[in-house]
Amino acid sequence: MTVGSTGTPTTRVIGALALLITGWVVVSAFFITPADSVQGDSVRIMYAHVPTAWIAYLAFVTTAIASGFSVARRHRTLGFDRVAGASAEVGVLFMAMTLITGSLWGRLTWGTFWQWDPRLTTTLFLFVTYVGYLAVRRIDTDPRQRASRSSVIALLAVLEIPLVHFSVVLWRSLHQEASVLNTDGDVRLDGLMLFTLFSGVVAFTLIFAWLVIHRQRLTTLSDLERVVGLDAAITARRAENSAGVTA
Amino acid sequence: MDLTPREVSEAPRPRRRILPAVVAVLAAVGGLAVVAVFLTSSIDYYCNVDEVGVRDGCADDQRLRVQGNVDEGSLQSRAGQTSFVMSFNGVSLPVDYEGEPGGVFQECIPVVAHGRVVDGILVATRIEVKHSNEYKAENADRLDQAEKSACS
Amino acid sequence: MKDLGFILASWLITLGSIGMLAVVTTRQARRLSTRVPDDVKPWV
Repeated sequence: MTVGSTGTPTTRVIGALALLITGWVVVSAFFITPADSVQGDSVRIMYAHVPTAWIAYLAFVTTAIASGFSVARRHRTLGFDRVAGASAEVGVLFMAMTLITGSLWGRLTWGTFWQWDPRLTTTLFLFVTYVGYLAVRRIDTDPRQRASRSSVIALLAVLEIPLVHFSVVLWRSLHQEASVLNTDGDVRLDGLMLFTLFSGVVAFTLIFAWLVIHRQRLTTLSDLERVVGLDAAITARRAENSAGVTA
Repeated sequence: MDLTPREVSEAPRPRRRILPAVVAVLAAVGGLAVVAVFLTSSIDYYCNVDEVGVRDGCADDQRLRVQGNVDEGSLQSRAGQTSFVMSFNGVSLPVDYEGEPGGVFQECIPVVAHGRVVDGILVATRIEVKHSNEYKAENADRLDQAEKSACS
Repeated sequence: MKDLGFILASWLITLGSIGMLAVVTTRQARRLSTRVPDDVKPWV
């Protein structure tokens, strides 16, 4: 008998906690936190937008660190490369959500869905870079070649993150400066707003961890299946075996 | 039981896939396009009101994006036309805009107006609101506002 | 609540995308897990 999933007790605990905290964030974002004095109710998008952006950063940094380990060990084991790939996949999804929710929020506050300003443009560039990274990962079917090529891209692409984060400081941008991780260290959010925002970051970090663990295990399964050619072999043996028993 | 050796199909050779390669090329082209659009506009998104006609790249005979605060009491809306004065560092610029600005446009808020300066007035074709990075509860702000003027 | 459509859309897109990735991942994992013996799965 085989274990029919990539779940373990640890991932189940992470998943349950993620669901619980996400539930709290949604309730708080919609019903408990106050409307903002200038932006009104549209500030409720912030509790989804900001955590997705931070988790996308975290995902791409994780990809770079895992790629660094993968290179340092000369791709002897593919575990780090699989973590790098899984993390980038989740990061691209979160970055897409950042762009979409930011666009909706921008329409309500700025009065426009999109502008080619430094923050928005560098964020789009970061997103496109990692879409390219994921595409490159799928070009080679040999896992070691995949690890070699993609590690180089991951280690270069991560350098874009400081540029994105500090674009609002380096250049004049339509996008507001950071309210929490800013250069002067001040926090410019009311208490409950801040608590809900951090709850969102915790919830999305747990979701990120859950997704990365499962997706890197999925890549492991995929690699194993491809390399060993187990699929056809096991099916054939099973068919033979069942034919032998009934004969 | 049949012990005849089974036909061994040739193991699939590692091969390159077309679709991911196409996506990778598109991503590279898309990335270059993003950079190109960014660089052909200007790296700084706007000029401040006090820099119009003064700072390099902010010449008043070209299309500009100008940032300033909407002056208190200057906002007028008539027959689909919006007029206001925006200021920055003690310099003011009147703005005319056909339409009603979107977003959280109001007096005392920083805005970026796109347009040309004609006879000392910025004729804007687009107005964007540049809100601050401060978030305060609506009710708390009402108390603050009761104590001080709206633009202070 | 003002602008409810935009706010709901933002949250639905965010949570919906995450949920879809989680479902797709779980389904693929179930399908592939049965094809690979447990002794080569590092997490078992």
